[in-house]
Amino acid sequence: MRPLRIALPKGRMMDEALTLFDAVGASVDESARASRRLILPSADGRFEFLPVKSGDVPTYVESGVADAGVVGLDVLGESDPDVLRPLDLRFGGCGLAVAGPAGTAYPDLPHGRTPRVATKYVESARRFFAGRGMQVELIHISGSVEIAPLLGLSDWIVDLVQTGRTLAENGLVVFEEISRSTARLIVNRASHKLRLEEHQRLIADLAGALESTA
Amino acid sequence: MPNTRISHVPPGSQDLLAGDVRRRRRVQRTWFELAEEEGYQEVIPPTFEYEEVFTRSAGPELASRLIRFVDRDGSLVALRADFTSAIARVVSTRLASAPLPLRLCYAGKVYRQQAEGLGRRRETFQLGAELIGDPSPAADVEVLRLALRTLWALDIRDFQVNLGDIRFVRPLLAGLTPDAADALRTAVDRKDRAALAAGAREIGAPAAVARALIELPELIGRSDVLLRARSLASGPEAEAAIERLRAVDALLTGEEREHVVYDLGEIRGLGYYTGIQFEVFVAGVGRAIGLGGRYDGLLSLYGADRPATGFALETDALADLLAEEG
Repeated sequence: MRPLRIALPKGRMMDEALTLFDAVGASVDESARASRRLILPSADGRFEFLPVKSGDVPTYVESGVADAGVVGLDVLGESDPDVLRPLDLRFGGCGLAVAGPAGTAYPDLPHGRTPRVATKYVESARRFFAGRGMQVELIHISGSVEIAPLLGLSDWIVDLVQTGRTLAENGLVVFEEISRSTARLIVNRASHKLRLEEHQRLIADLAGALESTA
Repeated sequence: MPNTRISHVPPGSQDLLAGDVRRRRRVQRTWFELAEEEGYQEVIPPTFEYEEVFTRSAGPELASRLIRFVDRDGSLVALRADFTSAIARVVSTRLASAPLPLRLCYAGKVYRQQAEGLGRRRETFQLGAELIGDPSPAADVEVLRLALRTLWALDIRDFQVNLGDIRFVRPLLAGLTPDAADALRTAVDRKDRAALAAGAREIGAPAAVARALIELPELIGRSDVLLRARSLASGPEAEAAIERLRAVDALLTGEEREHVVYDLGEIRGLGYYTGIQFEVFVAGVGRAIGLGGRYDGLLSLYGADRPATGFALETDALADLLAEEG
């Protein structure tokens, strides 16, 4: 049977995920990692890692092309894929927050004007503002959200904040944190049943590795 | 400039031609032969019904996906979103005095709204059966076996049926606010250990309930899992769930047992399931292609109180699997 295929989000979270898999005996050798191959096999033959854009991890796992995946809770909050979410992997911590230029009014703009909010995370923002009973106009943009208020596209932004440095460099301040996010292990529903023992072993191994580093 | 109303069909609908038609007909022929052999009679419910037939039974998830329109007299009508609800109505009315048990089968289209961009159809073919008037584990097994035999008859070998009983989880959610119960139900369904632990803390669950909630994602496997689950059962309802699953297990053949995974966290079904329920998973398809279970309370919603159990499989997914083998 082919190895379990694990979708990983390219970038820092992938490095952290591979470190965790390394701790459970599934290492990927350096030459393979450097090779930009589409599929990276683990040396023990148990897994194949599939590096993809983080927003695409849920799609690959939900469709069953990947058996499992690693992705931030923030991404799951956007696409709400129909997958199992057995483990909080605890790395990749960041917060989703409402921010804007220092001195901008929040949560009410002067004269009761409806605030415009630029974000990549439309669904999470919609849920947050609706929960507060706040009416806002959401503007979906796909990158460099922090310049939107500077250019006059929006009053506020909703974006991920890791260290707050990017915000500070652009003269923005956090008004309020919406939620905290960490990396999750997600599993395809069908694969979980059809290859139950392998998935149970993977979940137990990863949970064990997290215990020992905690 | 071509007229796109002619050159396209609406998203989620499609024309079926040639092999796509042949494979669906082969699945349906195989199905009806098998069902007839077992004494099931075909019914053809109408393509559209008063929407109440569906909103009354299947729960808010299906209700939100009905394709509705306004009839001549102003009443709301919906395209058939679920065969079981329609058949429950027929059994409670026109077949109310028919001798029990009743064995009914069907094959045809159901219509449900789908979000765009997921590549899902709004009109799909289903096939299935309902066994009405028999509360016994033997009836549960008869229906489950019919689903297994349908797959075998189509030469599908690599599949698993995920079998649970809603009565194991239900008492764990009793007495909670609707929001808290929803959040926990979602966590159970996703086997989300972090959310289950957080949820158990938040509702201030007694130790036994908290333990059962946190262990739920692990309560999945072959028959031995039923023994493990028994020590976590919280009260008579959960014990009845385990007893029923053990009775079902005892009636299965060895070959059948190889295709059954017991999962006490299996709570996916439509809102009307009251006892055992199952999902069918086939290699090569990333989601469940079938759903079944016991729905003893459903018929009383339409005026005739009868125990019942049944299942439905997605004809389209089965036909696509036939295509892969050529």
